[in-house]
Amino acid sequence: MILRSITLRRTANLSATLLMGGATLLVLLPLIIIFYHIVKMGISSISLDFFTQIPKPTGEAGGGMANGIAGSAIMIGMASLVGLPIGIFGAVYLTEYGTGKLATAIRFCADVLSGIPSIITGMVAYSMLVVPLKGFSALAGSFALSLIMIPIVLRTTEEQLKMVPATLREASLALGVPLWRTSIKVTLRSALTGVITGVLLAIARVAGETAPLLFTALGNQFWSKKLTEPMAALPLQIFNFAISPYEDWHRLAWAGALVLVVLMFGLSLAARWLGRSKHS
Amino acid sequence: MFSTIRKTVLTLALLASVCVAGQASAETLINGAGATFPYPLYSKWFSEYAKIDTSVKFNYQSIGSGGGIKQITAGTVDFGASDKFLSDAELKAAPGKLLHIPTVMGAVVVTYNLPGVHKGLKLRSSDVADIFLGKITKWNDKRIADDNPGVKLPNESIIVVHRSDGSGTTSIFTDYLSSVNQEWHGKVGKGASVNWPIGLGGKGNEGVAGQIKNTKNSIGYVELAYAFENKLPYATLMNKNGKFVEPSIKTTSAAAAGAVKHMPADYRVSLVNQPGDDAYPIVGFTWLVVYEHQKDAVKGKKLVEFLNWELHKGQKMAAGMLYAPLPAPVVKMVEKTIKTIKH
Repeated sequence: MILRSITLRRTANLSATLLMGGATLLVLLPLIIIFYHIVKMGISSISLDFFTQIPKPTGEAGGGMANGIAGSAIMIGMASLVGLPIGIFGAVYLTEYGTGKLATAIRFCADVLSGIPSIITGMVAYSMLVVPLKGFSALAGSFALSLIMIPIVLRTTEEQLKMVPATLREASLALGVPLWRTSIKVTLRSALTGVITGVLLAIARVAGETAPLLFTALGNQFWSKKLTEPMAALPLQIFNFAISPYEDWHRLAWAGALVLVVLMFGLSLAARWLGRSKHS
Repeated sequence: MFSTIRKTVLTLALLASVCVAGQASAETLINGAGATFPYPLYSKWFSEYAKIDTSVKFNYQSIGSGGGIKQITAGTVDFGASDKFLSDAELKAAPGKLLHIPTVMGAVVVTYNLPGVHKGLKLRSSDVADIFLGKITKWNDKRIADDNPGVKLPNESIIVVHRSDGSGTTSIFTDYLSSVNQEWHGKVGKGASVNWPIGLGGKGNEGVAGQIKNTKNSIGYVELAYAFENKLPYATLMNKNGKFVEPSIKTTSAAAAGAVKHMPADYRVSLVNQPGDDAYPIVGFTWLVVYEHQKDAVKGKKLVEFLNWELHKGQKMAAGMLYAPLPAPVVKMVEKTIKTIKH
């Protein structure tokens, strides 16, 4: 009787473990398939040219996506310049100053903003900047990207700041340090690694965005010389090349996808590493 | 640590903006957007032209014909491109007079997936319309079988695939169906996106091609270049003169030969179902759309220079990329039109 019960328990345990292990594998499977497929299709087209040349018209060998990589970097950089300070200081306000209804309203708005489909962000930037200024531009693209970054940075930073012990703030305030200085020099500083993790994740998120750039940065097959002109971006080039009928453009698109995925993977890993080193 | 990082970021950003600003030069950038169909050829032209005139760069983005019309009307681009000519209402909506400049011609092919049947299935235009209307439902229908003696057609249902997105290709194809079939004309009509009576939708040429590759007994339509590059089988269609014609550069050009005599001054003309023994029936122009009065003198001058180059030297690159060059009489007409652009 006792023996059978143990066997039964073991069997139940084993089958549950197998079931959950299988479920975990199923979760991982899409990621593995995507990664495997992109590496398989893209690796052969990755060369030095890919990082140093601009795209060549179909039928000509070679060519790369250097302008797209640079364009993405510039626009993400400009979006960060605007989006990160607003997001981080907004979060400081929420945790250190914000009380009552206003803070709740801001949090609610940030959540709504982060839920807005990115194509709509692009349309807003189009109607606010592109149409009045009579032209597509890198500036409009950066504006759209910064709108996506702000709520992500705001909420992750806020979570990190909440984890800073109240005693730290109290100690600083007791020493006569004003609240604004305490917020920046003590609270924000203690939460810094977590904040940077959030920032990296926000950058990884916008790096792959195509929709908000379609009607703002538009894309450029050459190097852009001004921020007020259309600019190339890696996701845009992947999109354009992937839907073309030409094999060599498909190969470039796969290579671009590989670079983008590796970049995002790297950023996520960096974010993880930073997040972990804080606790060790 | 925070201030160090902040300083680094700020310095980098400052450096980046200085670099970008420092690159600014006298070079002119002319922006255009629109049709996807001529994008490969245009990107070739603009890449070649950048070597000829180094003081100007043409940036062309393929956002679709509808998008091209919208953006040139809004004045956010310097030129638009479309596979569908603007309606009178669309022309009126623009803040200035818009000119259509035909650049090349393209063909749309009927492609299919029939195990054991390679390219060259013969189809009458009225039968194509009936298939897309859902009136011919089996591959071994007598009307198809009669035109294809010796071809083993399966007793299977025909699966129709069409574009789900608005497209110039659909515009040309439905224009063709409307002109060969009264019922289609009355019930469905023509346009960049129509209310299809039957069938599955695919996004873009690649979406339609993908669906057809994966679905046995299916039929759909894609651009000529797309079918050639991807080695899709395509049908031989009966034209207005009752001859079966294979799609090619030659038969595409032949379609324009008939239309040349009645070419309107604004080039807003349909090329489907044209007379001529060699004329392939599903053919259309693709146009650049520009303002007659160019606001920016420098850009206007460069644009006119490019149009003249494209009209002569550029035409020679078309056939290699499966676009049909303009017939000589049309080139003569367009020369004059380009002269009317004021800058």
